[in-house]
Amino acid sequence: MLDRNVQALLAALLPPSALLTSPEDTRPYECDALTLYRALPAAVAIPDRESQVIAVLKQCHESRVPVVARGAGTSLSGGAMPDKNGVVLSLAKFTRIVAIDPLARTAVVQPGVRNLAISEAAAPFGLFYAPDPSSQIACTIGGNVAENAGGVHCLKYGLTVHNVRRVRAVLITGEVVEFGNDALDSPGYDLLALINGSEGLLAVITEITVKLCPKPEQAQVALAAFDDVVGAGAAVSAVIAAGIVPAGLELMDQAATRAVEEFVHANYPLDAKAVLLVETDGMAEEVAAEMTEIRRVLSEAGATEVRVSKDEAQRLLFWSGRKAAFPAIGRITPDYYCMDGTIPRKALAQVLARIEALSEEYDLRCANVFHAGDGNLHPLILYDANAEGEVERTEAFGAAILELCIEVGGTITGEHGVGIEKLPQMCVQFSPGELERFLAIKAAFDANGLLNPGKGVPTLHRCAEFGKVHVHHGNLPHPDIPRF
Amino acid sequence: MTPIDHARLARPDARDVADLVTRLAADYGDRAVTTAAIREGHSHGEGLADAALPDVVVFPKTNEEVASIVRLCYAARVPVIAFGVGTSLEGHVAALSGGVSLDLSQMDRMLEINVEDLDCRVQAGVTREQVNAELKGTGLFFPIDPGANATIGGMAATRASGTNAVRYGTMRENVLGLTVVTSDGRIIRTGGRARKSSAGYDLTRLFVGSEGTLGIITEIQLRLYGVPEAMAAAVCQFTDLESATRTVITAMQCGIPVARIELLDDVQMRACIKYSKLEGFAEKPTLFFEFHGSESGVAEQAGQMQSIAEEHGGSAFEWATKPEERSRLWKARHAAYYAAMALVPGTQGFATDACVPISRLADCILETKADIEATGLVAPIVGHVGDGNFHLVVLFDPGDPGQRAKAEALTERVSMRAIAMGGTCTGEHGIGVHKLHALVVEHGEAVDLMRTIKRALDPHGIMNPGKTVPN
Repeated sequence: MLDRNVQALLAALLPPSALLTSPEDTRPYECDALTLYRALPAAVAIPDRESQVIAVLKQCHESRVPVVARGAGTSLSGGAMPDKNGVVLSLAKFTRIVAIDPLARTAVVQPGVRNLAISEAAAPFGLFYAPDPSSQIACTIGGNVAENAGGVHCLKYGLTVHNVRRVRAVLITGEVVEFGNDALDSPGYDLLALINGSEGLLAVITEITVKLCPKPEQAQVALAAFDDVVGAGAAVSAVIAAGIVPAGLELMDQAATRAVEEFVHANYPLDAKAVLLVETDGMAEEVAAEMTEIRRVLSEAGATEVRVSKDEAQRLLFWSGRKAAFPAIGRITPDYYCMDGTIPRKALAQVLARIEALSEEYDLRCANVFHAGDGNLHPLILYDANAEGEVERTEAFGAAILELCIEVGGTITGEHGVGIEKLPQMCVQFSPGELERFLAIKAAFDANGLLNPGKGVPTLHRCAEFGKVHVHHGNLPHPDIPRF
Repeated sequence: MTPIDHARLARPDARDVADLVTRLAADYGDRAVTTAAIREGHSHGEGLADAALPDVVVFPKTNEEVASIVRLCYAARVPVIAFGVGTSLEGHVAALSGGVSLDLSQMDRMLEINVEDLDCRVQAGVTREQVNAELKGTGLFFPIDPGANATIGGMAATRASGTNAVRYGTMRENVLGLTVVTSDGRIIRTGGRARKSSAGYDLTRLFVGSEGTLGIITEIQLRLYGVPEAMAAAVCQFTDLESATRTVITAMQCGIPVARIELLDDVQMRACIKYSKLEGFAEKPTLFFEFHGSESGVAEQAGQMQSIAEEHGGSAFEWATKPEERSRLWKARHAAYYAAMALVPGTQGFATDACVPISRLADCILETKADIEATGLVAPIVGHVGDGNFHLVVLFDPGDPGQRAKAEALTERVSMRAIAMGGTCTGEHGIGVHKLHALVVEHGEAVDLMRTIKRALDPHGIMNPGKTVPN
């Protein structure tokens, strides 16, 4: 609940329709795509111009009210989950594409613009915006920057941080700051990189300049079948080690291909234990040369079958299975839990084998669909929330996978962010010295800890508590949070 | 350009410094040096020699030694300045208020090479040429190549780039992780071997480009690339600077994935022909190209590039396909700074580092060229124009204060012109001491945040004081 005074002060800053306070109005904002964590916010502000964002932030700062910025609410880590005593600052009305400069190959957009809408607007100029998270039809560019989102194309074209030139943002104090600039490099500390992936903890983004890439002349995808998942993992390393940088390199195991095939009929080889999709794009000659090389490497790595797309329609068909993987899995299981650990590519085969073993140990099915090229795993743990003990086993299985990722030199999240979900593993991945640096940076931007509190970076005190949890393996971390 | 105001920086207490020097001598023996010659050698980089001597130079060999030295500095509140090989052009290594120069040149080991993951881990004192020498035979290479044979630690600290940033990016894109000694002498690791991570703030990129003001970088995980199957270099000459520049802009617009594209104006060509004995070329605006890819890919890229150049009145391509011809060409390019300095013996030079959006490149270069001509100074232009970055070396006679002032004013105008065009005063050399005021013009409010971050990570202000972020 908001203090009545604070509510009145906020109401004075916004038109009546832009401030929601009754539970029936705020209910749609109680969670993001990680639905197991929920909280009803005290209020939802829906400004439509920067001056309103500034005013709301200033007021919240003055009244010490927490603020959680929100785009489309597609976060998979609870990044946009509200604070029950705070304001959700929705940027849903910031949907304008301000400018496209085809010569400089940049677009200036508001944070509420959908990822795909940028590419659609750039298409007439032969350009596109490269990072393509699976949720790109819905997720917003502001959220992409906050989470440093990835996607299939990131192997070749880089993550969000590599594709953003400039960010305009408002600090909790209401000051407007610009990070980066329109040129290649920007001097001084790389605050632009700090903002990318800061999960709404440092500032609220109001405008973004993104880099656009020329649409490749041609693209072709190879679909390779393997007898075992470990062999497919080894093939991924072989492709990269051959000096090929594919435009996409994705792995799906049999559990995933079977679910998908029933759903979209992409004609995947269903007897294969794993399928790799390897895409190459560029100038026609280069695509042809690279595809020959890809075919050779895949065959040598033990592929039982390699199909190459003959035309654009077939290319899209091959990809349709991968793109529909998550909804397809959703059809065959009451619930699933998507992980996001990322590992050095070399460890791929070993980690996949260990996940298979863990799957048996925890007696839960696990489907693998992921960005193999950059080692970003997305194991989907299939479970039934209504079955006795499955929730706990799922969480323990998930934690074991993340800790396995750290053990081989990887990270607990490649592109989904820490949010509220992976706070305990942050304490495993980072030393107190590193966490202290994170907290110092947070304090430099937001001394009172009002922006998106309780997310992203655990306090050292919480880590000490998690440490105890960690020793007694299998216990539920922070049981105060309602789940499932 | 504001002169360095040494007086504004507080100097540590002389007795604290003396005690620290005694302690370092006890701990490090002949690896803690106070002789004048060595201190002088650590008082400035290349570029303008506004020297400031450290009180002592220490040569650590391990992360733990660096941490222990920094802990002593932290306790005594004495400045500590990291030093690689001293090729900075912006005065980064000058010990403005004395203190300890931490020379990392003995930390020169390649720690690991992971061929399958396309990465390696090196100590900060490894030079870029050493990395590539050690990678020979693995089929991999490290592409970032500033003109000097700088250390990887220095390159990371200044967010360096080079001739092929247009294809491979700068240090920002190619550092995967770091080991850093923090201002209180703790050893932390940032980033890692995973290709992407959204866990925690991006400390790696915060330290990359922080110019030794937030911590001491001691190890760097570098991204590597497969040596392309085919490489070809070509030279194309133009009658005027505008046609050469327009050729670059068109090529970028068409998305030709050229690996290197360098512009040298007539004056720079004169310097290079003389200094590097480049034969068969005229003293005219010139583009150097390099193409990487498969045999057919390289041919296709080069063919497209050639037709764009022809449309802009460029000469026929001079090809350099043999490795030794190619390396002669790029050696000449890398020596451009030294060639410029040799153009008028006895002069000193200010190096500028403007970088603008590619759509403003022609305006920026042509206005700058006219500006140079109006001053009557000698200032060759050379640049990695594919990413909008170009340099002037503004020569002046150090004995002539009027000429120095004129040179400074020109340098200043170049920075401000770039900023006014939506660009930056430094694409790759960094801020150091010479561009502090330009940072304020460029970043406004964000400078306050940078200051707050500086204070948060270096509360006693001992890390390379007086640089990067204005007080």
